[in-house]
Parts: sequence; structure tokens; C-alpha cells
Amino acid sequence: MVNAIKGVFVSCDIPMTQFIVNMNNSMPPSQKFIIHVLDSTHLFVQPHVEQMIRSAISDFRDQNSYEKPTS
Amino acid sequence: MGNDERKRPTKKMKYGGKDDQKMKNIQNVEDYYDDADEDSRDGEGEEKRRDFTDLELKPDHGNRPLWACADGKIFLETFSPLYKQAYDFLIAIAEPVCRPESMHEYNLTPHSLYAAVSVGLETETIISVLNKLSKTKLPGEIIDFIHASTANYGKVKLVLKKNRYFIESPFPEVLKRLLSDDVINRARFTSEPYYGGDGFTIGKTSGELEAGPGELLNEAELAAAAEEKETHSFEIDPALVENVKQRCLPNALNYPMLEEYDFRNDNVNPDLDMELKPHAQPRPYQEKSLSKMFGNGRARSGIIVLPCGAGKSLVGVSAAARIKKSCLCLATNAVSVDQWAYQFKLWSTIKDDQICRFTSDSKERFRGNAGVVVTTYNMIAFGGKRSEEAEKIIEEMRNREWGLLLMDEVHVVPAHMFRKVISITKSHCKLGLTATLVREDEKITDLNFLIGPKLYEANWLDLVKGGFIANVQCAEVWCPMTKEFFAEYLKKENSKKKQALYVMNPNKFRACEFLIRFHEQQRGDKIIVFADNLFALTEYAMKLRKPMIYGATSHIERTKILEAFKTSKTVNTVFLSKVGDNSIDIPEANVIIQISSHAGSRRQEAQRLGRILRAKGKLEDRMAGGKEEYNAFFYSLVSTDTQEMYYSTKRQQFLIDQGYSFKVITSLPPPDAGSSLGYHSQEEQLSLLGKVLNAGDDMVGLEQLEEDTDGKALKTRRSMGSMSAMSGANGRVYMEYNSGRQKSGNQSKKPKDPTKRHNIFKKRYV
Repeated sequence: MVNAIKGVFVSCDIPMTQFIVNMNNSMPPSQKFIIHVLDSTHLFVQPHVEQMIRSAISDFRDQNSYEKPTS
Repeated sequence: MGNDERKRPTKKMKYGGKDDQKMKNIQNVEDYYDDADEDSRDGEGEEKRRDFTDLELKPDHGNRPLWACADGKIFLETFSPLYKQAYDFLIAIAEPVCRPESMHEYNLTPHSLYAAVSVGLETETIISVLNKLSKTKLPGEIIDFIHASTANYGKVKLVLKKNRYFIESPFPEVLKRLLSDDVINRARFTSEPYYGGDGFTIGKTSGELEAGPGELLNEAELAAAAEEKETHSFEIDPALVENVKQRCLPNALNYPMLEEYDFRNDNVNPDLDMELKPHAQPRPYQEKSLSKMFGNGRARSGIIVLPCGAGKSLVGVSAAARIKKSCLCLATNAVSVDQWAYQFKLWSTIKDDQICRFTSDSKERFRGNAGVVVTTYNMIAFGGKRSEEAEKIIEEMRNREWGLLLMDEVHVVPAHMFRKVISITKSHCKLGLTATLVREDEKITDLNFLIGPKLYEANWLDLVKGGFIANVQCAEVWCPMTKEFFAEYLKKENSKKKQALYVMNPNKFRACEFLIRFHEQQRGDKIIVFADNLFALTEYAMKLRKPMIYGATSHIERTKILEAFKTSKTVNTVFLSKVGDNSIDIPEANVIIQISSHAGSRRQEAQRLGRILRAKGKLEDRMAGGKEEYNAFFYSLVSTDTQEMYYSTKRQQFLIDQGYSFKVITSLPPPDAGSSLGYHSQEEQLSLLGKVLNAGDDMVGLEQLEEDTDGKALKTRRSMGSMSAMSGANGRVYMEYNSGRQKSGNQSKKPKDPTKRHNIFKKRYV
């Protein structure tokens, strides 16, 4: 019997995969979203979390980049 | 006005060079302003203020080198034939904000105008020259601003003549206004009878001898400047000088006084017989900075800013030789005290017995009645008990009148320390020297009032072009984190080890090893590797089998390592912790690899770059078009996706403002390097990770140096314990004290009444 699960295929570099995995681990069990870690740069995740992952990554990147103060 | 100098967004700054290339084409300038507005996050009012489309272009604008905008910003085209003159003028009146290759940005601030007035420029001169150089008609706002800022500056001078303080001004009405103030009137010296009316002494001072903007003035103005000027003055009580100065500050009467020292007519203080040796030939920019200081035959107090390696010490020695009075030279640590003493002997004809060093190790005293004393800020400002010998020397310093107070690396010294130093030592003229006039705590403006205005600031890129300092290729090497290290980095429980994790990133190590190997073998360079993180420093140095110097390294060992680095062909790399940031002179090195740093300190970055700025090789190779385009390399290794990226960009800001651009390298080490570099296999990487995680939190943190205020430099001998612990006073003596007084309970915590002390000890605690 074949089981089909709908999801989003995520492709990113090695550190970002770790970032997403870490995010997944910090969630309570009911909200874990990674369906399968395919290899060190590819993930298969629940379809509804795409936006959340994007915003989390962009926050993370903002924290690590310096913007010259404007005033 | 002063605080809006950092408005252009980062990305523009970082690749500033390229953007400015575009601006060569004048038609593009308008577009440029447009996108500057889009990018900026200022309110709408700000945008309107930055819209200069209605400025009127002069018909011959092509020949004029700069744009002056109503908000006080000035843009200078460096490719204009008038660049040199315009630059000299602008550096005198405005604060440089950003100086890339083709276009400079300056900002007019009240402070910068104060500095301009103090080097002898007058309000009308500033406006007319600025108008001559500007492509557009000067906006009314700028003219008003200059008038408002300079109206009161420089009108009054405090002059020390024959050890009597005079307040001098070409405008008698200003003096009258000052005298109407109670404090000042009381301070006025009463030996001369007060006539009610203009009781001022009228004297003559020769006009400005400065060449600077003179070329730009028309002949009539020039003649006027050369004419002798009449000045009015009155004498004040030396004891009340400090009060008078305070009354004149902007928050009270608002006539800040310029301090000048008429050293030629000072025949009270003994002369010091010293001349520059003939082989000491100041370079053009050194001449220029000195001419600002001695513009009218008197010595002005102020700060001179020159990049590291550009010969600050020669400027200092020349100034001392010009004044020819006793000179007190302050440095940050004992090593640079030795270097200063050496420089004095090298460049001037001063005799060995006229120069002495005063540090915790060597307490020399000079004979005769004039001389040079080289010491550290700490020695002077030290508040605690001194040895009897030191106390005598300090007392002597207090009682002496110094012709020149020479202060090295003024940017590192906290303001309160300055106040103390200045209050202890009576000096006629103060000269501050520094390479980087930035502080993370924004206390730079304090220096303006404590020492004096900035007299001169050299343009780094011009010095590079002239071959006076090395042409440095700056690069930021991006090292991706490995999977395992990044996973640990993200874990919350490792928040204290984050730094250790991104510094110990195996990819970074491999990049570092690759670079060391490349420069040692292919180019035969001498390399310094900087790591603030002690754990990383030891790991790297052990693994690569290179010598290292950090806080606890003894003086003897340090000297040995540095000597080997200088002379031996086999020692080409040395690892340094923070202690190497300032003042350790390693002229041989021409490559720096930075693996970890002190958060976002712009100054540390600039100081480290300064270690390799001293020009090497033949002059003709270094000049533009010579054999080697770059002869020094500055690598900053950064682990991507970590906090280090943030710090790294922040740290680069100062150098970017000086016109340096950072190249980003992403493919180091090359993928085919394989197992020739360390930490190739996963097992090795994992064992390293284990080591990092098992190390205690205190081990992996930053090295803490004693008295580490704003990264202040080292002393030669460093001890980790407190003063009392080192002397043995902490443990045993305290215990004894306690046991003897068990019954009196917590009395031991109270300070003892000095009168009850035993006679033997009384002397020690007074």
C-alpha cells in the first residue's frame, strides 16, 4: 500500500539545514514539521510551514548583518 | 548637524569605490541623490532637505571641485585639478566622513569650524573660499551656519607669555564683554590699574604665515593677512585660569578660548638644546601638520591624526625640537615608552642625559634644568601609593612647567584620566597624536575641549599613492560553518560558547592554514595571526606548531619570539592575542590573518591594520604603477551565518570610510586541498568539537587584560592577580590581622584610624 504525503521540498546549504532542524527540535512534538531529512542539504517538510521557515531565516540573517546606523 | 554624518546606508558604503566611479559623470549626480533618498529611512522632512535640485549651478562648474549642500555636507571630486588645494582647505574646516577613491564626503560641524578658526582661518575667508570652490551657489543655510558657529570661536586667546597668562583678542569690545562677567573681572590681574575705559595692552602679532588656503585668496586678501594685526590683551591671575576657562565655554559666556604658547619669547623656562638631525626629513604631510601647529610662530594645542606607520613619532619629535623647552611625552605602555625614547635619540641631537624614562621598571631622572621625560599615562594618573623614589619624581613633574605635553595614542585614554594628567602637569602646549580618532563610546568630542581641536588629518589613500604607507589588500574570507559545529552553535545551552564555536570552525582553521602556507612558501612573507580568544589562540598555535604571545607570556619570552620573528628565516608566523594590537612594533610583518576579534571595535581593526602599514620594499615599486600593486595583506576570517558576520561588517566601517575596500573571498581553502590541511576527516572535526564543548566557559571566553577599558593596551609585565595578591598582602597578612582582632567582630572591615597606627607603619599609609 503506497502512502502519499503532501509536503514542501526544501533545498538549502548545510548550515541552514541545521538551522531548520534546530527549529524543528525546539517545537513541541505536536508541531514538529520535518517529515524527512533527505540529506545534508535537502529536507521534506509540512506544506504549511514554508512561510514560517522563510521569516525565521530572514530574522536570523538580519541579526547577523550590520546596518550602519542612520542617525 | 554633527550627528547626521552616518546617513548613507551600509551597502553603499561598502562598495563605495564603485558607486563613486559612476559619479565621475556629473550628470549622474542627481540620480545618485535620488537613490540615496530611497534607501534612507529618514522621515519625509529629511527627504525634502536632501533634495538639492533647485541649487543654482555656476556656469563654469566643471572647473570647480566640490558640491556644498545646505545640510552641511560637502562632496569633493578627487579627480579635479584643484583637488590638492581644496583638500587642504576642507580638511581644515570640515570633518571627513568617508574618503573613497574618487569622491570624498565631508561634514561641516561646529567642532570642525572651531578647529578651522583655531588654525587661523576667519569666518569671511571660510565663506569666500568655499564659495569659490563650490559648483553651485552657496546655500544660505551654510553661510548662516558658518557665521553662527564661528561668531564667537577664536575671538579670544589665552596666551602664556613669560609665565604670565594673558587674555588676548583683536576685538576690544569682546574683552569688555568678558570683563563684565564677575568671575573674569575678579581674575583680572590687579597690578595694572584699571582705567575704566579700554585699559587693554595693545600689542602686535605677526599675521598668519600659513600657505594653506593662501593660494586661493586673491592678492588683496593675502596682503591683509600678512599685515601685522593689533591685539588687545589683559592679564589674569594664574591661579584663576581654570575658572576663567570654564566661564568662557559655550554653556556660559560662549567665547571658547584658544590656547597658544609664545615659546620664542618665553625666557623664564630654560631652553633645551635639541635640534633635528639633518637626516630627519619630514615628509610633505608631516610638514603640513607641523605648519598647522606653528602657523603664526606660536605653538597651538591640538590633535594631529596620521595613520599608523606614517611617522607620527617624527612629528612629535619635530614639535619638541621646534619648541625647545622641557617636554613630557606620554605613551600607553612601557614598550612604547622605550620606542619613544629611542625615536627622540634617533631623530634629534638630544643628549642621553637629557632624556629619561619613567616607568615602573626604570625610574631615571634627568640632570640639568630642561629635558625630555617619557612615561605612561598610568604612571602619572596612578592614584595609589607610590614608592618614595617615584613620588619624588612625580613631585618634580608637578612643580615643573612643561613646554610641550606630547600625548601618544590619545584615543585610548579615558577622559577622566586625561583630566587628571592635565591637572597634575602644567604645560604650555598640548599635542595629541593618534591614528584612529574613533571610540565605540563616542567620547571623542571630549578631546576637543581637553586638548584642543584637530589640527590635521591625513588622507590614507593619498599616503598610499605617495608610497609613504603600504598598499594593503583587505579581504574578508567567508568560511561556512560545518554541519556539526553549526548545530551546536544553534543550541540554546551553548550560548556562552558561541564565540568559541565560530572561531574554532574547522573550515576557518583550514582557511587559515592554507593562507599561512601560501604566504610563507609562495611569497616569503612574514605573517601575524591575531586571535582574541585564548582558547583558539592556543589550539591554532599548537596544531600549526607556531610561536605565540599572549598576556601571560613573560617579557623575556616575548622579546625572544619577536627577535626570532625578525631575524630567523624559519620563524615566519607568530600568533598574537590582543596584546599585539597597539604599539608592539613589528615592522617586518606584511600579512595579517585575523581569526577572532573583540566584538565590533572599529578601532581594533584599524590598529591591527596599522601593524602592517609601514611601507616596505623599494619606493619606486610602491608608487602607483610600480611592480607590486599590493605589498601587504589583511585577511579577516569570518564564519558565515554567525554573529561574526555582524561584527565583521561593523569593524570594517572605519577603514571603509578611509577609502579601503574589502574583497570577499568565498572559496578558501580550494576544494582540492583535501587532507593536506588539518581537520580534514570528520573524526578529527568531531574530536575538536568535543574539546570545545568540554572546555569550561571561562576558558573559551575573551582574554581579559588588566585595566581593559575600551581595549586599552598592555603593560610589559602582566600579572593576573590584584596588586595586593601579588605582593602577598592578600592572604597571610589579612589572616593575621583577623586572628588578632577576633573579638572585635566586624571591625576589621572598617578603615583603621591612622593616628592609632604604630609609628613604623604610619609612614607607609599617609
